[in-house]
Amino acid sequence: MSADWKEAWRPLIQAVGQDFSEGERQWGADCVEKGGIRRFLEPLEFDCPLHYDDAIARSHGYAGIIAPFSGYLSLTIPEIWRIGTTVFTSAERHAQPEINNPITGIGTKLAPPTSGYFATDLDIEYLKPVMVGDRLCRAGRKLLSCEPKETKVGRGAFTCWETEIRNQREEIVALLRLTVFSYNPHPKQ
Amino acid sequence: MDWTKQRYWEDVAVGDEVPPVGFPLSIYRMVVAAGGNRDFNSIHHNSEYARQTGAPDMYANNTFLQGMWERTVREFIGLEGVIKRVKGFRMKIFNTVGDTVTTRGKVNRLWLEDTKGLVELELWCENSKGVSVGPGTVIVTLPRREA
Repeated sequence: MSADWKEAWRPLIQAVGQDFSEGERQWGADCVEKGGIRRFLEPLEFDCPLHYDDAIARSHGYAGIIAPFSGYLSLTIPEIWRIGTTVFTSAERHAQPEINNPITGIGTKLAPPTSGYFATDLDIEYLKPVMVGDRLCRAGRKLLSCEPKETKVGRGAFTCWETEIRNQREEIVALLRLTVFSYNPHPKQ
Repeated sequence: MDWTKQRYWEDVAVGDEVPPVGFPLSIYRMVVAAGGNRDFNSIHHNSEYARQTGAPDMYANNTFLQGMWERTVREFIGLEGVIKRVKGFRMKIFNTVGDTVTTRGKVNRLWLEDTKGLVELELWCENSKGVSVGPGTVIVTLPRREA
């Protein structure tokens, strides 16, 4: 990037306040199901019975097994492969899915191209439990801030996005603010 | 964990410790986490790829770390507790493979809203390099003995 690399972020800075979703919903690949919850709990060794025992969940006021709160974001991730598509087209060691990589960076042409990104901050308010059988989506993708910055890993920008997580009945189950750092790594010395 | 035990709002005082939980990060565990939470970004399960992006090694993803907070909080609030909000969940340094993440917390504030007993917990993660996530806050409700 040139010395005026921050200037490349100006179009996105000027778009702060804009909803980039254009009304589109980003649906999770699957309905919430017991097996998916079990796989989510497994690496955490998290044995809370609200997430696997229907009778215990009901005895605590829920309509059945509930999903872990920290899993809501995962439940909005779309599939990598869709019927009729081919996404694994390269045997290159680090090749990424060719299309529809569900974990993406900024996803707007207003931002300069970047090759790296990761989440940095999260603020989430939980409004309703998510039950087995529900299906979740992200509704709205409003840009709240854009701050170009050079960090240890590279040059890029912190962008904060506001999204509603809704279920198949259009009920808002959570309000999410997620900040990501999108960047180009420093050149190797 | 004995889930038949329930902590009540009246049992909690400002300054109380939320018992720590340790999460050793092996490659195996991080691959299981990626499969479980569907964040297949290669930075979380591929050391070579992660280093190309400027990170020191593959590192735990945000949902895995959120899950660590949830388990830690849930074990404190029991089955009757409800998690209402997470704020200030800031991932400050990488939680890389080969390290252990320990989630810690304490009670910051107690108050009532109508008859509901609310608690603000301060939560953070530590690894061998220091505080890696937070400190942030988690707002929960606890049942009341008098309700």
